[in-house]
Amino acid sequence: MAGKRIHEQLKGLIFRAPVAEEVDAELKFHLEMVTKELVEGGMSPEAARAEALRRFGDVGAVRKECGQLGRAEQRERQRAQWLSELVQDVGYALRQLRRVPGFTLTAVLTLALGIGATTAIFSAVRSVVLRPFAWAHPERVMLVQESYRGQPASMSVGNYVDLKAGSHSFQAFAAEEFTGASLQEGENPERLSAGRVTHDFFSVFGVRPQLGRTFLPEEDAPGASPVVVLSHGLWTRRFGADPSLVGKSVRIDGQSHTVVGVMPRGFDPTASGEHVWLPAAFTPARRAEHDEHLLLVVGLLQPGVSGQRAQGELQSLQEEISRRFPQGNAERGSAVQPLSEAIVGDWSQQLLVTLGAVALVLLIACANVANLLLARGASRARELAVRAALGAGRGRIVRQLLTESLVLALLGATVGLALAWVGIHVLLASAPEGIPRLDETRIDGSVLLFALGAALLSSLACGLAPAVRAARSDLESVLRQGARGLSHGRDALRAWLIAGEVALAFTLLVGAGLLVRTALHLSQVDTGFKPEGLVIAQVSLPKASYETPEQITRALERILEQLQGAPGVTSAALSSSVPLGPGGGSNGMLPEGRPETQDQLINGRRRVVSAGFFETLGIPLKEGRRFTAADVGGAPQVIILSEALARQAWPGQRALGKHIGCCEMEPALRNKEVVGIAGDVRSQGPMSDPAPEFYLPLRQAPGKSWDWIDRTVTLVVRRSGSTADAITAMRAAVREVDSTLPLAGITTLEEALRASTATARFRTLLLAVLGIVGLLLAAVGIYGVVAYFVGLRTREIGVRMALGAKPADVLRMLAWQGMRPVLAGLGVGGLAAVWATRLLQASLRGVSPADPVALAAAMALLALVALLATLAPARRALQVDPSRVLGEG
Amino acid sequence: MPTQGKDRLHGTLDALVLKTLAAGPRHGYAISRWLRERSGEAIVVEEGSLYPALYRLARAGWIEPEWGTSDEGRKARFYRLTPAGRRQLQVEVEGFRAFVTAVSPILFST
Repeated sequence: MAGKRIHEQLKGLIFRAPVAEEVDAELKFHLEMVTKELVEGGMSPEAARAEALRRFGDVGAVRKECGQLGRAEQRERQRAQWLSELVQDVGYALRQLRRVPGFTLTAVLTLALGIGATTAIFSAVRSVVLRPFAWAHPERVMLVQESYRGQPASMSVGNYVDLKAGSHSFQAFAAEEFTGASLQEGENPERLSAGRVTHDFFSVFGVRPQLGRTFLPEEDAPGASPVVVLSHGLWTRRFGADPSLVGKSVRIDGQSHTVVGVMPRGFDPTASGEHVWLPAAFTPARRAEHDEHLLLVVGLLQPGVSGQRAQGELQSLQEEISRRFPQGNAERGSAVQPLSEAIVGDWSQQLLVTLGAVALVLLIACANVANLLLARGASRARELAVRAALGAGRGRIVRQLLTESLVLALLGATVGLALAWVGIHVLLASAPEGIPRLDETRIDGSVLLFALGAALLSSLACGLAPAVRAARSDLESVLRQGARGLSHGRDALRAWLIAGEVALAFTLLVGAGLLVRTALHLSQVDTGFKPEGLVIAQVSLPKASYETPEQITRALERILEQLQGAPGVTSAALSSSVPLGPGGGSNGMLPEGRPETQDQLINGRRRVVSAGFFETLGIPLKEGRRFTAADVGGAPQVIILSEALARQAWPGQRALGKHIGCCEMEPALRNKEVVGIAGDVRSQGPMSDPAPEFYLPLRQAPGKSWDWIDRTVTLVVRRSGSTADAITAMRAAVREVDSTLPLAGITTLEEALRASTATARFRTLLLAVLGIVGLLLAAVGIYGVVAYFVGLRTREIGVRMALGAKPADVLRMLAWQGMRPVLAGLGVGGLAAVWATRLLQASLRGVSPADPVALAAAMALLALVALLATLAPARRALQVDPSRVLGEG
Repeated sequence: MPTQGKDRLHGTLDALVLKTLAAGPRHGYAISRWLRERSGEAIVVEEGSLYPALYRLARAGWIEPEWGTSDEGRKARFYRLTPAGRRQLQVEVEGFRAFVTAVSPILFST
């Protein structure tokens, strides 16, 4: 009956015919009645019909108007009815749920866990990946790099100048050179990270300063009076957000700089955490320099110009440059990509993988709730049958049940949002440093919308199958037989859900297992040096007072002398860079025995080191000798290579005693003798592979190299006492030589080693937590289903035992029945895991995605937990007293 | 006043229809006949306006259509006054009374 009504409503909604038909029938009736009246008054039928029509007026217009009004009325009535039914359904659902608080609590908490976790991770993804950058035209801001042998590389000043002059694709084209700056205000001089930028740098991003202005073109010239733009962070931290700071001067690198502006909070366009910006002010000599590739270049595309077109244009300009300046420009091309992509790139993949893992947890949660709803559907069969008998159609019952799961999901989403709020705080507190924009993660409108969407989808995912099944079951037989009318043969659906849950949990666990294996592998990797007990700090010599290489080396050697005798210090050394520390630089090299052409150059990481470097860091010497005090400027030029570089330079030959050229304008001068071969070092931490490296003695460093490294070196101390003593000794040694020099980046290499694997550990932790949550949810699901089966079969078990079945037989039968879907799930999950874990490949070290150990461990763990979840309810069934069960029958 | 002319016409027709149905359900033809007879043929509701008025009143929820059988045994669409319609009729009658009370002293004064 009700079904027919719904059918008619649908028909009225989809085909408009009924309203029009009604209007036609009504008007026809009217006209016939008038005609009849006129005929009775004595007219001929034809004349009467014509008169009736004449009196009526424009039948077509009336028909049309009535049709429109009628349809509008019908639509409004349906909407009102729909709404009142929805209110009824929600009210009914709430009453029903209140009657089963245990079920409701379990379902809501399960969904809250899934929705909360998904929402928390989504909010991070949104903040880091999806949220547009706060620039005027983020889609037009490009990172412009050179490419060297297909790899993106920094740009030389000369190339930047030439590209800027030749290119028409960009509205603004600016360069930044990362550097450090010593802020000498107040008691503690502080080392800041700084960007030397061309004056149009800020216009690329279209961000206005919060105070003052950015640089004027005339300030970006050699010899101009020094100015500085501060970051919001430095302005608040060091200057108490003093609004009158603009126009005042601050002391940086021994020189007074006028503050011209303060950028707004969060302005960190290259995600490199600069504290201050200084004008680049390239000298004519640097503008003609095509060989030192140090710049980060950003450009704002002209409106309507694509990144690809700009790339094409720059590529041909670069080829022209390579012809004119072969020195340092061989094998160089152009690489243009959106800056936002470059900043977020690495993280977007990792966050999306995490979001995928969390979505698996949500799916497991949904499968669990679906199972709960199915069990409830079976016990509610009577109630539903009564409702159907009272006139509720199947559609209406499906709707009622879906409303119930929707109410559950919305309650779950509400609790889930609270969990997400907590989760975001935990995430922010435990995440490794350096994820761009993660700290801006919060619950905002779109995150709320996401949670709502997740709730809607989960209500469908967990509610649709149970609702349809409940409505489809043979209601009459249910009424006649009661709940037992549902045979267990129908519960294939529940078994499928268990299999699916197991498969999902298995995939998660395998992923977590792979990351754990990676972490174990990393903890055993030999980094090639001994980080225990090493303390490092950077010291920078301002160019104003340390102009010549002699001044620099003299100051550095005096600092070292002070340190070597200091209490708490076993040995001390310094280097342009140390493993796991900041600083860097590499050079092309030309080994003896190779033709003197650009394409024969090999590349190595350059380190300018003091004599005690290898002993202090614990880097073994494989062959030859270390540097000594005799390796000075006038003496023969010497060099020490890492094993990897030696192999690359002279494959299959002995490197010791051979000559190699590097680091000066003409590497063709193969004048450096290889006096030692050092062990390979994993400079970027255990995740990295050893790279080719070479070492030059301090006194033989090329004069220009001090400019390349901004006169900044890293002091390394192997401590005998506490870390604090070592730091005190370092401060004292530097102060003794020059009291204006700040120490920066003081840390221990053990700490740096931990930091280098922080991201990997964080991801491992995250996936392990998700895997365990998935495992627990799956266990709860299995337990619930087996308990339900056992409940249904209590009578049968009683009969079997009365007929002499042994408890072990019954237990085996129940375990087999419970484990069957689990085994199916493990099979499917194994395939899914092998496929899904390939997404983790980039995060794995020392283990392959299809690692049998991780697969087997995950499988064993899941099988064990599943068996426990199966046996617990099965054992209870054995305690049934057969006579009592039979008596009930 | 001129812009309100059509509204008043609608309003008057609506009030008449509601009044007609106050005695019981009727179909469209019966309504038009009843109006004609009751007014002594003075008011001939244009049939072309009556039906849109009926659909309009139904949409407002004042009357409710229902298929039934006419006196001659034919299928016809009957309209029944809803409780909301009964209240609306009162409003219309009061409004009309107030209007007449206000206008009469002016129009009928000599």
